[in-house]
Amino acid sequence: MKFKSFVKKNKSFCVFAVLALLIVLAAVFAPIVTGGVSPTEAVLKDALKPPGGNHIFGTDKLGRDIFTRVIYGARTSLTASFSVVILIFGLGTALGVLAGYFGGWTDTVIMRIADMMVSFPGMVFAMAIAGVLGASVRNAVLAVALVSWTKYARLARSLVLKIRNQDYVAAALVTGSKTPYILKRYMVPNVIPALIITAATDIGGMMLELAGLSFLGFGAKAPTPEWGLMLNEGRQFIQSAPWMMIYPGAAIFVVVVVFNLLGDALRDILDPRDE
Amino acid sequence: MKRLKKYAALFLSALMICGVMAGCGGNAQEETPTEAENTPAGNREDEVNQEAYETERDTSGGRAMTFGIQNYGGGGIDPAKEINCAWNVSRYGVGECLFMFDNSMNVAEKLCDSYTVNEEHTEWVFHIRDNVKFSDGCALTPEAVKASFERLFEAGKSGSSAPEKFLEEEAEITADNTSGNLTIKTTKPYVDLTKNLAYPVMVILDTEHTTDYDHAAIGTGPYVATNFREEVGYTMVANENYWDGEVPFESIELVYMGDASAKAMALQSGQLDLAENVTNISDLRDLQADPNFTVTIANGVRTGLAHMNVSEGKFLSNKTLREAVLTALDDDTMCAVTVGGLYTSGFSVLPSNLDYGYDNLTDPYAFDPDKAAKLLDEAGIVDTNGDGTRELDGKEIVLKYVTYSNRCLDDFAEAIQQQLAAIGIGVDLEIGDSARQWDSYQSGDFDLNGSNWTTVGTGDPTEYLAAWCSTSGADYCGYKNDEYDALFEELGATFDTEARREIIQKMQQILIDDAVAVVHGYYNSSMISKNETIGGAAIHTADYYWITTEIYPAS
Repeated sequence: MKFKSFVKKNKSFCVFAVLALLIVLAAVFAPIVTGGVSPTEAVLKDALKPPGGNHIFGTDKLGRDIFTRVIYGARTSLTASFSVVILIFGLGTALGVLAGYFGGWTDTVIMRIADMMVSFPGMVFAMAIAGVLGASVRNAVLAVALVSWTKYARLARSLVLKIRNQDYVAAALVTGSKTPYILKRYMVPNVIPALIITAATDIGGMMLELAGLSFLGFGAKAPTPEWGLMLNEGRQFIQSAPWMMIYPGAAIFVVVVVFNLLGDALRDILDPRDE
Repeated sequence: MKRLKKYAALFLSALMICGVMAGCGGNAQEETPTEAENTPAGNREDEVNQEAYETERDTSGGRAMTFGIQNYGGGGIDPAKEINCAWNVSRYGVGECLFMFDNSMNVAEKLCDSYTVNEEHTEWVFHIRDNVKFSDGCALTPEAVKASFERLFEAGKSGSSAPEKFLEEEAEITADNTSGNLTIKTTKPYVDLTKNLAYPVMVILDTEHTTDYDHAAIGTGPYVATNFREEVGYTMVANENYWDGEVPFESIELVYMGDASAKAMALQSGQLDLAENVTNISDLRDLQADPNFTVTIANGVRTGLAHMNVSEGKFLSNKTLREAVLTALDDDTMCAVTVGGLYTSGFSVLPSNLDYGYDNLTDPYAFDPDKAAKLLDEAGIVDTNGDGTRELDGKEIVLKYVTYSNRCLDDFAEAIQQQLAAIGIGVDLEIGDSARQWDSYQSGDFDLNGSNWTTVGTGDPTEYLAAWCSTSGADYCGYKNDEYDALFEELGATFDTEARREIIQKMQQILIDDAVAVVHGYYNSSMISKNETIGGAAIHTADYYWITTEIYPAS
C-alpha cells in the first residue's frame, strides 16, 4: 500500500529509476543483449556497413558491430562513472567531515588543498593528470576524481560546521562519547542525504567528463568499447558514415539525461528543505 | 514516508553497485578469426592519377588562393634546423636546390644547369645558372651557393637536419663567379652527388641578407614567405624577381589544418582552393566523386611499416612469432578496405613501383590466420592459462605497439591489433604524436613501431635501408644479419646502377625472409584542387614540392 502511494507521489523518480535500472541491466547482461557477439570482433571486409541487416547500428572502420560496442560501452561508461562518484563521495565526505569537525590546522590544510584544486579549470587539470599517468580508463577515473572531490569536501564541511556546536553534540561530548562515535553517530548521518543528492546528480556529469577525456585520447584505449572513444573514431567519417557518431552520441545523451533526471527526482524526495 | 526515503537512498546505492559490477563481468566470447575470402586487390593502379585539371589560365593578375596544409616542424623554414623545416622551405615554394627530382625520382637541373664529375666521383664541377636572382633581387652566384652551404653546416650543428649526411663537411668547396662554376671536392667518392644536392636540406638561401631564417628565409623560389602566424600559417607573396617564368598568384594564404575531415569540409565550403593529403579515404572519395574538384593521387615513394624490435629479450626476437605475426595480417584488405586504397599493398620495405626488383621477390608469409596459429602451436607458443593470450617463456605475449595518427597509421595499428588478437597475441596500442613515436623508436622502447618512411629521399634507398644494418649506427631494431651488413657495405662502394639494383633486391629478400618489419603498404599522396579557381595542381611523386608555378588561377 505504502509502495503504491510512494509510486503515485513520486512518478518521475520511479520512471527514471526503471530506465536507469534497464540501462544497468543492459550493461550487466550485455552478452545476452548482443546475442553473444564480441565487441572487439573485427571483420575487416565489413567495414563501414550502414545500419541494417545483421548490423542494426551499422559497422565501424574495422567492421565491428556498433550495436554491440554501444551496449558494451555502457559497461565501461557506467563502471567508470560510478567509480568516480563513489571515489569522490567517499574521499570528499571523509575529508570534509574531518575538516569541519576538527577545525584548526586540519581544516586549513584540507581546505587549502581543495582551494588549490578548484583554482584550475577542472577538465584541463584532469587532462594534465591523465596525460601524465597515461591513457587508460583507470587513469581517467583517477584524474576526474582528483579534480572533483572538492565539491563534496566543501559541502560536508559546511554541513558539519552547522551542527558542530549544537547542544546535542556538546551533550555527547560531556557524557564521554568518543570522537569516532560522534563522527559516526552525529556528523556523518547529517551530511549523507545532501551528499547522496549531489552524487546522484553528478553521475551524468562525470559520464560526460570521462567520455570527453576518452574523446581527446586521455581515457579508454582502442579497442575498448567506450562511447567517447567511439565518437572520436567516428569523427573522421561524419560525412560518409555518420552512424559511427550518431549511436554512441545518442547513447551518451540518453544515459546522461536519464541519470540527471533521476538525480533531480531523488533530490525532490530527499531534500531536507521539503520537510 | 521516512522509511520510503531510506529505501530510495538504498535503491540508488544498489544501482551504483550494480553499475560497478557490470564492468567486472568478463566476456567469455571467443573471437573468431577473420574469414579468408577472396581478397580484394590492394594494388589499385586506377587510383593513381597525376593528371592535373587543365583549364583556361586567368592572366588578369592580382589573383590569390588559399591552400590548406598540414603543419610540420612548427612551420619553420630554416633547413638547418630540422628535416621538416627543410621540406617546408621547398614545399612552400620559397627555396630551390641545385637539382630537383622529377616524377620518376630522376634528377633534373634546377639552379645548376650543367655539371661534370671526374672518374673517381670525388670532384664535381657545377655550373650555376645565369640570371637567377634571390627574391630580394640579389644575384645567385657560385659564391652565394658556397656561402649557403657553409651557413648550413655551421647552423646545422645546433639543428637536427644533419646536412653532413648529404655532403660531407670535409668537402672542399670553391666558387668562381667569373666562370659561374662551383667546384666540390670530396674526400670520399659519392655515387651521385646531384641526388644529395636535390634533397631539400641542401636548398640555397641568401645568407647575406636573410635575417630571420625561421620564418622569412630568402630563397630563389617563386614565392616569398611573409606574415607567419604560429599554428595559423603564412601569406606567401609572388617573388617579383623569379627567374623561371611568371609567378601565377599574387599571394597564397597557407592555412595549417591538421584534421583531414576539416580540410575536406573547408574545400567543400569554399574556404580552401587547394589542399594536400586528405588522409581520410571517405572524404577523399566524396571529393573524387564531386565534379567540382580534381583529386590527384601519386604512387609515392613512402612505405608505411611497423619496425619490429628483434633485440634480445624482446618478444619479437623469436622468429616464429614474427612469422606468425606476418602470416596473420591481411595486408590486401587493410590497404583496400581499412584505409580505402590510400596505400598500395606490398610485402617488401621498398615500394613496388620503384625499380628495385619487386617482381623478383617472394613473400613466404601470405595471409593465412590458420597457418599462423598452427605455427605458434607447433613452436609451443600456446595459451596455457586460458585467458585468450598466448605465452612465450612464461610471459603473456602483449606487444607494445607505438605509432601516431597520421597517414592512416593508427588505422593500420588498430586493424593489426584486432587481427593479432584473433590468433592469441595481445597488442598494447599507444597512439601518440610523431615525436613520441620517434623517441620510442630510438630508445628501443617498443615491440612494433609504426611510421611512414620516405624510402628514396635522395633518389636512392641506401639511407633508408641503413635502418637494418647493424654497423650503420641507424639500426634501432636490434637486427643483425651478417649477409645484409656485407651487402650494405658493398652498396656504398658500388657505382654501377645495375649492380646496385641487384644488391638492393637481395637486401630486400633478406629482410622479407627474416620477417623484420610489418609492411603496411606504399602510401599514395594526394592533392585536391577546386576546379572553379585552380588549374594545373598535381601531387608530385617526391614529397618536397607542393607550391610550384605549375599551379595557376583558373579563368
